[in-house]
Formats: sequence, C-alpha cells, structure tokens
Amino acid sequence: MEQELAQLVERVTALEGGAGWAGTVNSEIFYWWCTALMITIHAGFLAYEMGASRVKNVLASGIKNILAFAFMVPTFYFFGWYIYLAFYNGFIPAADGAAGLPWDLSMGPNLADNATGIFWAAFTLFAATTASIFSGAVIERIQTAGFLILAILLGSVVWILGGAWGWHPTGWLTVKWGYHDVGAAGVVHMVAGFFALGVLINLGPRVGKFNADGSANVIKAHNIPFTITGLMLIIVGFFGFLGGCIIYIPGEQWQNIYGQPTTLSAFAFNTLMGMAGGIIGAWMKTRDPFWMMSGALIGIFAAASGLDVYYPPVAFLLGTFGGFVVPMVAVRLEKMGIDDAVGAFPVHGIGGLIGVVACGIFAAGYPNVGEGYPPVTLIGQIVGAVTMALLGFIPGYVASLILKMFGLLRVPDHIQEIGLDVVKVPVEAYPEGYIPGPVTTIDPGAAPAE
Amino acid sequence: MNTSPITSWDGAEAIFTWADSPTMMAIALIGALAVTVGAIVYAASHDKHAYASYKPK
Repeated sequence: MEQELAQLVERVTALEGGAGWAGTVNSEIFYWWCTALMITIHAGFLAYEMGASRVKNVLASGIKNILAFAFMVPTFYFFGWYIYLAFYNGFIPAADGAAGLPWDLSMGPNLADNATGIFWAAFTLFAATTASIFSGAVIERIQTAGFLILAILLGSVVWILGGAWGWHPTGWLTVKWGYHDVGAAGVVHMVAGFFALGVLINLGPRVGKFNADGSANVIKAHNIPFTITGLMLIIVGFFGFLGGCIIYIPGEQWQNIYGQPTTLSAFAFNTLMGMAGGIIGAWMKTRDPFWMMSGALIGIFAAASGLDVYYPPVAFLLGTFGGFVVPMVAVRLEKMGIDDAVGAFPVHGIGGLIGVVACGIFAAGYPNVGEGYPPVTLIGQIVGAVTMALLGFIPGYVASLILKMFGLLRVPDHIQEIGLDVVKVPVEAYPEGYIPGPVTTIDPGAAPAE
Repeated sequence: MNTSPITSWDGAEAIFTWADSPTMMAIALIGALAVTVGAIVYAASHDKHAYASYKPK
C-alpha cells in the first residue's frame, strides 16, 4: 500500500511538472505566433505604401519601409525595451528597468527565462508598426537618413515611453488617472499619428500637391488594388497585435496589460464589430474602397481602448462613427496645406483619439486592480489623450525641424520631379513598362484619393 | 577560441555566446551599435551622392 502511495505521489509530481512546462511553452508559442502575425502588418504597410506611390517612386517607398523594420529591431534591443521597463514613473528611470539593458543576462538565450525574448519580440513588432504608420505619411519626398532617425526616435523611444506611462501595470497614467487603453489606441496610434503630423509640418508637401493659390491637386496612387490588399493584410496582422496585448499566464485566466482579467473572446467580439462598423461608416461617407479599408482600421482603433469590456454593438457604433468622421478630418488637413499621403494622421491620430476618449464615456467606472488605483473616468482618458498627443507631436516636430536645418529631411524638389527610383534605386519596378488603364472621370469627392 | 559560457547543460541558465565575459559582450554590442549608426551615415552619404551625380539618360 505504502509503495503504491509513493508511486502515486511520484506520478502526480511528474504530471504537475509536465503541466507547468506545458503552460510555459504554450505561453511562448502564443506570443511567437502573435509576433509572426504582426509581421503581416509590416507586409501590409509595405504594399499599401508602394501602391500609394507613383510609379516613379514605388521602390524607394518600399526600401524606406523595409529599412524602418530593419532598424527597429536592433534599436529596440539597444534601448527600447529598457525604456519600457524603466520609465513607468515618468522621466526618471526605475532601478528594476535594468533587466531591459542589452547586457543583462535575460537579453539573450537563457534557459531560466522563457519570457523576456518573446515579449521583447512582440514589443519590437509594436515598434515597427508605429514606424510604418509614420512611414506612409512621408512617402515620395523624405531623405533616407532623416527618415531612419525619425523612425528610430518614434519606434524605439517615443511610443515605448508612452507605453511605459499608459500601457504598463504600474505606469503613472494608470496609477494616477486610471487610464485604460488595452488595444493601444493612444500609446501606439495616437503617438504615431501625432508624430507624423509634427514631421509633416516641417517636411512640406510633395512637389505638385498644392497650387500657388493653396488649392490641392490629387496625386493618384499608381496601384489602388495593391494598396487595398495591403490594408487587408494589416487587418490580419492586427489579430496578432491585439493578441500580443493580452497576458497569457499558464493555468490562469487571461489578463489585459493592466492585470485586469479578460478573455480572447472579448477581443474577438469587439475587434470584429469595430472593424465592420468602420468599413460601413467610411463607405457611407466616401464610397471609396481605400477609405473603406482604412475605415476598418479606424473602427478597430475607435474601439481599441475598451476592447475588453465593451458591449459589442457599442464597438460597432464607435467604429461606424470613426469611419464616417475621419475622412472629413483628412479633407480638413489637406485644406490646411498639409500633405499626408496616406492619411496617417487622420486614421491613426484621430482614430486613436476617438478610441481613448470613447473609453472614458462607454467604459467609465470599470475598476482598476492596484490598491488605490482610480477606475476608468472621462477625465483620466482625456489626460491620457492629451499626453499621447503631445508625446507624439513635440518630438516629431522638434526632431524634424533639426533635421531640416541640417539638410537631412526633404528630397530636393528637382529630384522629386524626376522620381526617386531612377535616381537612387538600382532596379526598376516595372521593367517591361507600366500601362495605365482608362482614366476615371468620377471626381474623387470628399476624400483625397490615396 | 572557446565562446561557450558553459561546460555542461546541467543547471545552465544564460547560454549565449560570451555570457560569462563582459568584455566580449561589450565588444559585440559596440560593434552592433557602430553598424547601426554607420548605416544611417551611409544612407545620408548615398542620398547626397545620388542627388548630385544623377544624369538623365
């Protein structure tokens, strides 16, 4: 009997050990595939930027986007991850952030640490997303070095500082204001959109975009179907992005980034409902397939902050509102003389703003988990939104102004007229000739054609 | 050259190249930083040269 009991104890111990390892490895696997899916965001941005460019600039736009991805990885390793772990109190680094320094023993293959590498990878892909958002706005007239410096500043410094403040279990925005932004409407999309706006003011429009009297010309994308397909790829990637926003704790319920319990089901309901609303809202406003797919993104961002708690019809209505309103912001921006080639500021900056503020209305009162932390409030969300807008805009404006002073920002106008591909790319996009189809006679209408 | 920080897998934790040698880690890290910064400088130089040397065919 005693021998049987001892064998039983031994078996239970072995089973418990195996289950523990299964949970740890499953957690790694989950974030591994979230990261892989997020690469389709970058593939989507690549297609969408190249499609939105004219034939003479297609490959230069592609090179710029690919380089943004490449530079994001090492720079996020050098200092991005450290910023997230260390700066949750503001601008003074906390001592426990040292685990993110590139010489810490957790920042490389380590058999005692199954978490750091996979979380670093997921956050690096979030960083690449911010750089891609910015990349589209500045196509066809930004210099490579200036672009890379700005992309690194945004992706490996600015957004992740916002992440430390408002997308961290002990970030000061959450601790002091109850800021709630589970799907990163503020910390990713607002920061990237407002950063792009700051840069666009100094970069100026593409040659030929505006006339002497201030009226705007439509600069047509060379391949709208490619652009639309790219946007659909971004939607696919967002399922990895949003999966990466949730914490997998083996043996326990899922948690959001703030430690509050949630489910993947919650995210599934509201992501799809927001997306659908965004498409419908943008279609009703523009009837333009580019804006319909941009509307899908806007719809997700408009619901993103409260994906964990919204009643799905609320997410749908927020998406519809965002999809309808944001194209009007794009028109307004153009009337102000700002050439945002892919609508990055309206889609991400304003779409994210709607998401953050809406959470203060439609998720007000949801409790926080930390001792003494305030619940979700409209005031807390507005504080968060203003913080994210300034955090994006000021570095974007100041850094691009400095680059402009050093002649590293804008491609000379005569080179823009020739086209960037023929000047600096050793291969041709369409070597057998590009044959345009019949020209549409329909006025592009309210929204700027992509 | 022995780059392994371990002599056995039993109880091993940090197993990456030169994990037991801060000097070598620093050299590799500085090298990676230098390539990253150098590539940006190269980008500026390449753009400047391309704009100045372009001649229509």
